[in-house]
Amino acid sequence: MYEFVTGPLAWVAFGIFVIGMIVKAISVIRLASKKDKVVFNHWSWSWSFRSVYRWLIPFGSRSMREKPVLTTAFFVFHICLLAIPIFLLGHNILWDERWGITWWSFSETTADYLTLLFVAAAVVLILRRLLLADMRIVTTAYDYLLLAIVAAPFVTGYFAYHQWFDYKTVLIIHILCGEIMLIAIPFTKLSHMLLFFLTRAHIGSEMGQRRGAKTW
Amino acid sequence: MGEPAIDTDFVRERLAFFKGARFKTWLDICAHCGYCSDSCFFYTAHDKDPKYMPAYKVIQTLGKLYKKKGEVSREELEKMAEIAYGDCTACRRCSLYCPFGIDIAVMIAAVRGICCSQGLAPKALMEAAKNHLEFGNQMAITTEEMIETCEWMEEENEEEMPGLKIPVDKQGCDTLYVLNAREVKFYPQDIAEAAMIFHAAGENWTFPSMGWDMTNLGMFAGHAKIMAHAAKLCFDAAERLGVKRIFTSE
Repeated sequence: MYEFVTGPLAWVAFGIFVIGMIVKAISVIRLASKKDKVVFNHWSWSWSFRSVYRWLIPFGSRSMREKPVLTTAFFVFHICLLAIPIFLLGHNILWDERWGITWWSFSETTADYLTLLFVAAAVVLILRRLLLADMRIVTTAYDYLLLAIVAAPFVTGYFAYHQWFDYKTVLIIHILCGEIMLIAIPFTKLSHMLLFFLTRAHIGSEMGQRRGAKTW
Repeated sequence: MGEPAIDTDFVRERLAFFKGARFKTWLDICAHCGYCSDSCFFYTAHDKDPKYMPAYKVIQTLGKLYKKKGEVSREELEKMAEIAYGDCTACRRCSLYCPFGIDIAVMIAAVRGICCSQGLAPKALMEAAKNHLEFGNQMAITTEEMIETCEWMEEENEEEMPGLKIPVDKQGCDTLYVLNAREVKFYPQDIAEAAMIFHAAGENWTFPSMGWDMTNLGMFAGHAKIMAHAAKLCFDAAERLGVKRIFTSE
């Protein structure tokens, strides 16, 4: 089982993720060139780039500064989400064994604390949805499902590292959760991983090039 | 005597028309994160009543229309019209506060277009908007009245600024001055004041006899035909008079 989930299934998951994202990007851009001419007649790389950049750095926009709790949780969540799996020692060893590639990694203690930090940020995001009236009114079961899909690999990974319950089973569940997340990205709201750059660039040009207003 | 039924085919056709890459992506990726809430003055002015949250307004209108594939009852569409016309000014502030830059106002404008096509635009707004077609301005001011107003303002300010002119339809000027219909109807002194500034600055300017109203009520109502007509009148005037730029105070 372990061989299967880290072998063929891993290839399938990465394949669907990568190809799915490429197809998504191409189809969105093609549809835009057909039906959204306004996107292109005021396109500006400079305004696009600045808009994307300001929204990638923590507290880089006025909107973020006005909601410091959300922004902190939001950045901790996203940075950990990307950094932990890529720089985890265990993962590095795995792909060193499989593909002979490896790079810098966190110490195990650091990764351990970062995972807790990630979970804490996820809890803040869930609490906002549960407690704030404006969040409650727009939140659907789908939003919780996505949070669960994204948080599951981290929670199960934490369990696996600490060898709680049956290590082998937990490890396989962990890998499956990670693969489910990868496969889900192109087909769900998680595709904002890529589409963020497109929509952000568009509004940056739309407001910037058209009327000289900054979107951050 | 029932209200006319909703033309579902037409609504569906509009929904398909709107669904380009922008609408599709925006509706697909909104993460319901809540960054837009406090950007909306309707929301803050109503003690943070969640029903004024920008994302919620789109979910309740355009979101619902797509979900139901245009099959909505008159009551449902009336509720949507209340939100699209009454709870949102389409100021676009929320799109500046959205991490994805989702242009909520553009989607609300699309909802207005659908509501307007089914006769659900606010009556007073539509009446004034129709004046654009007949008179070229929303306040039903005739060209004679407008020219008279300009002449009156020239006379009125003769002493204060000798030689003050409000040139109507002068060919080959640099600047075409256009404004809010309210200035002609209720505040003619505003025209005189603008003329004084142009005069003092030695600007070569003119005022068009048609296409001078920049309050595009067709746009606010969601009536594409009137919107295009009002905008075209001004561009036509600019071309006809051969100006270099259009200058608007509205």
